[in-house]
Amino acid sequence: MTNLASNGKAVTIKKTFSRETEVSIDIQADKSILWALLTNANDYPRWNTTIISIDGNIAQGEKIKLKSTLDPKREFKLSVKEFEPDNRLVWGDAMGKRIYTLKTIGNELTNFSMSEKIGGPMFPLFSKMIPPFDQSFEQFANDLKKEAELIQNTKL
Amino acid sequence: MDKEQLSTEFELARPQLKSYILRITASVEDMEDIVQDTYVKAFTKIHTFRGDSSVKTWIFTIASNLAKDNLRAKKRWTENVTDICREKALANPNYFSEIMHIQQTSQQANFEIKEHINFCLTCISKSLPLEQQICILLKEVHDFKVLEIAEILDITEAMVKYYLHTARGKMVTIFDGRCALINKKGTCHQCSELNGIFNPKQNFEEEKNKIAFAKNADNPDKQHLLDLRLEVVKSIDPFNSNGSDLQLHHLEHNRKIMENISEKKS
Repeated sequence: MTNLASNGKAVTIKKTFSRETEVSIDIQADKSILWALLTNANDYPRWNTTIISIDGNIAQGEKIKLKSTLDPKREFKLSVKEFEPDNRLVWGDAMGKRIYTLKTIGNELTNFSMSEKIGGPMFPLFSKMIPPFDQSFEQFANDLKKEAELIQNTKL
Repeated sequence: MDKEQLSTEFELARPQLKSYILRITASVEDMEDIVQDTYVKAFTKIHTFRGDSSVKTWIFTIASNLAKDNLRAKKRWTENVTDICREKALANPNYFSEIMHIQQTSQQANFEIKEHINFCLTCISKSLPLEQQICILLKEVHDFKVLEIAEILDITEAMVKYYLHTARGKMVTIFDGRCALINKKGTCHQCSELNGIFNPKQNFEEEKNKIAFAKNADNPDKQHLLDLRLEVVKSIDPFNSNGSDLQLHHLEHNRKIMENISEKKS
């Protein structure tokens, strides 16, 4: 998606065979802090209210099992498809993939964006069973912002 | 820097280096090997020291890398290490006779609550990921600055902040749930139990209230209580204290138990 405002508000584009949600937010923290938060699997529940658990190692080619508050009864088995330290993380399954990107836009200022596209030929048959992601995405982005800025600003 | 300068600096750093490596490895034997290897490596690589950091930071960098190598294949301990090891000690018919022998033969075998607090934090910190444990020890016990820790671990300052933040958060949670000194519902009473055994005539509550974080247990600021706990740890030299031999025996006991458990699981 282009021209997405970095205000933490999610935007969803619905098409017949796909749905894509994206959120973008500016965070006053070094991107290595954001990367550490995004890639430490067992630390997620501590700071992220949308994640119940992530089992496994978030690294290139690894498999993880994720449980989300969006659908607590379901465990998503995902593969880490791209792992570019401090820049880009992609994981997903056959249904879709989630992309995280980090860009330094100023002194200890990082733009975080997260998008997920789901779809396929059978999408119209089950699309209504998949809950909207917008609120969850906004919560994720705000949790990340809150935690990263707290760490960045900790006086040591 | 010449060899004489390095020798002087190393001897100045040695007591802290020993304490630091002991707290990471929980093994006197491994600590002695690592400190010796650090000494040899520092002299071998003296020509590589460019003065970008202090000599002490450089020495701790070499030692930290050796410690990380030592621990690479070893599993981290669990948060309930003190519970597990307590049960094993109680089930071991020789354990208390070993303790009595130490008390009868050593000048450094007194039980002091502060020293047990130091021992406990050492054990609990081994349940943290290694980078978090190293950061919290270097910063809070050995007074290194964030920039120096970043140099020692070859990571960014931002990552040091992340590790410190998560380590502190984890330790606050662990101690709040376990430590009866700060939480009446805490599950671990080892300080009072052992004090009762070794110092039966002492009033535990009076002794407990001499320790700042225990006296302030009602303070809702858990991070501040952790700071006060770390102040206790900072004040203890695990090799030169009234109860060194006793606490080192406890530590060796715990290390053997935890390594045994790890081996059985793998």
